[in-house]
Amino acid sequence: MQQHRYWLGAGLLALAGAGHAAAPSNEELQKQIVALKKAVEALQQQLDQNAQASKAAPAVPAATAVAASDAAGTPATREDLQGVQADLENFKYQVQRDRDTATATSSRALNVGGTIQARAAYSSQATSTSSSTPAGVVNNRNSSFDVPTAILAFTGNLYKDYDEGRNLGYRLSAGASQQTASNNSFLNLLDAYLTYSVLPTIDPATSRLDIAFGQQLLPFGLEVPATEDLKPVILNAQFTTRLGLAQRQIGLIARGDFDPVVDYGYNYRAPLLTYAFGVVNGNGPNTSDNNSAKDWVGRLAFTVPSDYNSWWRQLTVGGSFYRGKANLFVPGTGTLVGTGDRVRYGVDVTYNHEPFGVTYEYIQGRDDTASGTTQANTRVSSIKSDSHTATFFYNFGEQFVKGFRAQGRYDDWWPKSYQPFFRYDRFDPNTDKPSDESTVYTAGLNVFFAQTTKFQLNINHTDDKAKNQSYSDFLAQFQFGF
Amino acid sequence: MKRALVSLLFGFVSAFGVAANPAVIRVGVSTGASGSPATFGGAATAIAQQRGVLEAAFKPDGIRVEWVFFKGAGPAANEALASKQLDFIWQGDLAAITGKAGGLNTRILLGDSRLAPSYLVVPAKSKAASLEDLKGRKFALFKGTTQQLTFNRIAAQRGLAERDFKTINMDGATTLAALAAGDIDGVYLPVNALQLQERGVVRVIEDTRRDPLVAAHTHLLVDAAFEQRHPQLVQKLVSALVANAAWTSDEANRQQVFTGWARAGVPVSAWQRDYQPDALKQRLTPLLDPFFYAHYRDAVRFARQFGLIRKDVDVDAWIAPQYLREALKAQKLERYWTPLAADGKGAA
Repeated sequence: MQQHRYWLGAGLLALAGAGHAAAPSNEELQKQIVALKKAVEALQQQLDQNAQASKAAPAVPAATAVAASDAAGTPATREDLQGVQADLENFKYQVQRDRDTATATSSRALNVGGTIQARAAYSSQATSTSSSTPAGVVNNRNSSFDVPTAILAFTGNLYKDYDEGRNLGYRLSAGASQQTASNNSFLNLLDAYLTYSVLPTIDPATSRLDIAFGQQLLPFGLEVPATEDLKPVILNAQFTTRLGLAQRQIGLIARGDFDPVVDYGYNYRAPLLTYAFGVVNGNGPNTSDNNSAKDWVGRLAFTVPSDYNSWWRQLTVGGSFYRGKANLFVPGTGTLVGTGDRVRYGVDVTYNHEPFGVTYEYIQGRDDTASGTTQANTRVSSIKSDSHTATFFYNFGEQFVKGFRAQGRYDDWWPKSYQPFFRYDRFDPNTDKPSDESTVYTAGLNVFFAQTTKFQLNINHTDDKAKNQSYSDFLAQFQFGF
Repeated sequence: MKRALVSLLFGFVSAFGVAANPAVIRVGVSTGASGSPATFGGAATAIAQQRGVLEAAFKPDGIRVEWVFFKGAGPAANEALASKQLDFIWQGDLAAITGKAGGLNTRILLGDSRLAPSYLVVPAKSKAASLEDLKGRKFALFKGTTQQLTFNRIAAQRGLAERDFKTINMDGATTLAALAAGDIDGVYLPVNALQLQERGVVRVIEDTRRDPLVAAHTHLLVDAAFEQRHPQLVQKLVSALVANAAWTSDEANRQQVFTGWARAGVPVSAWQRDYQPDALKQRLTPLLDPFFYAHYRDAVRFARQFGLIRKDVDVDAWIAPQYLREALKAQKLERYWTPLAADGKGAA
């Protein structure tokens, strides 16, 4: 390297000297040419050596590689760097300004979502309601446009355990219900609970246990805990409202599973046992308990262990119970006569084997009721009720193929899917009383055409023996989420 | 009405044993796509997708080709195939093996890429210098994919197993984010490890370059029901992919191939380093040679040993080499690629 510098210096000196000399002799010119030749040869030799060195060590560190490619191109000037620096400062300022003035922030991770339904309905049975106020009167109505549900939900985590996934999370949701003469509340609190994963959730092959405290849906049967976006039918099964199971309750509920089968070939996880057990007020949402007795709820379900591609996949048998106490009154008065049992038992079978599924649910209820006219002559007796609900559905399309939906794409593509279904729903409010049951047959079609949007078409035929009525409802509804 | 008539016609034709051509051929790709238009890298099939090779091959038949990219990689593609949403899948060895062992009726048609190094990477500030240094530490593993098999094979060579590490099941994108945040201590990555190293996010402390037995393989397989219905379409697809593989593995196209793959996000410089000093033909070969069979037999054995599958897979019956044989013969490419012996270290 020293030698190259020497010849380069000599060559340059020779050139410089030539500039000052007034009339160089031939001999001097010859010397300068020789010096220049040597300088050029030395430079050529240096270039060759560099080329050989780069061939011998191709896996150069990243930083060196970048520097080499820069050396081959135009070097950045101080002005260039200052320009980049100015752009960066402008960008930082813009981001900070947008964050200060045009960004919604929260103190913890927050996911905002919601579900809304917009419905058109026609019934062959006219509805008429009298009321003391004009707003409450319904005059021979056969058809209506409604927004029966509008739910706004916030979910997130309060503590995220990166090591084991024992996360602390929350859910808060509120729903707008239709205003009626007796109900003018607009937005009601629905879910409000805290969850904690007691067992690690990192490994899908291990069991889970989560505890939820607050106002929440009950883990009873199939339809009760299902969220709106998963239900194929527009109207809920009769037992959910008539046995009071659809109401959210306030309390502490543990949910978990045991011995999961994990088929990594399909990213499929199916626990052998899933369970839930909890204690709640039993007095419904957004209110304190109305007695000191607490209600107990539990569920145990067994899923046949199988691989994803087996015919046994997603065959589950479950059982649920709910036991509680309700205040009893002298009929038609506010006179308390004590508490009575409120008991529900249920068994269910699910065979959800994409592309088709079958579900069946049997629920039995027992409610103590008071009869009599005064506290002294009140008698308490039990009324037994039962319900059968069966649903069959078939999916055309990829809506329920999880992996297919999670495609890597850069457009707003979503698979169009069609889900025809049929449901049989029978509820007998008093098994000891003949001919008082109500049966609803529903045939329908769900059309999924965007990620969170579906169009639902339901035809219900109701045979209500208690009211001696038989009629049909036609419902068309868009359900969309965000 | 139109659809009903088409269905009726289809049923009539099927009854006489001649299946009508489908309107669309659905090709699943067991990796998430990047870039716009969406694509992927590291495979001859990726170049076929970019060049529109299959689209051109099936255009005369009026058949559309649909590429479906799965963020959930092989397991998600298996799920889609089980639900009859795909006809062909490009994927890695383990996902195909778990799918086959789980009852998916598939046939392997041709190889795609092989001998791809896996790089053991740690966060840039980590002091770990070997896999052994990561014992008891948090190790990311995308279970059900080739990455899991590679990891288990390397670990077994050193007397280690998954249980010696705190393995966390993560998909590719989550792993990269966790690496950058320092939430995991190590992971085996393919070529994108070099990209992260260039950015200074990670350090590569080992690679599998010198060990052909642990290197990952990819291939293309077909739903057996589709193959039975449309063997002539399968042959056409394989022939098109073989011609594409010849173009892709031609050294004259080296720069174009790397540039094409770089559209999916990994820069050309990383591909150049990953492929050094390999010839394209060594890594991008469709051949179903003794090395291919041995690798898959070995992978099945390991998958059972590690408890990743519960049933055996008959590799010889699984592979359908007749389509490749016909394509190589028709295109006079029998000697274009060099078949490797079972150990992957010399010519067969």
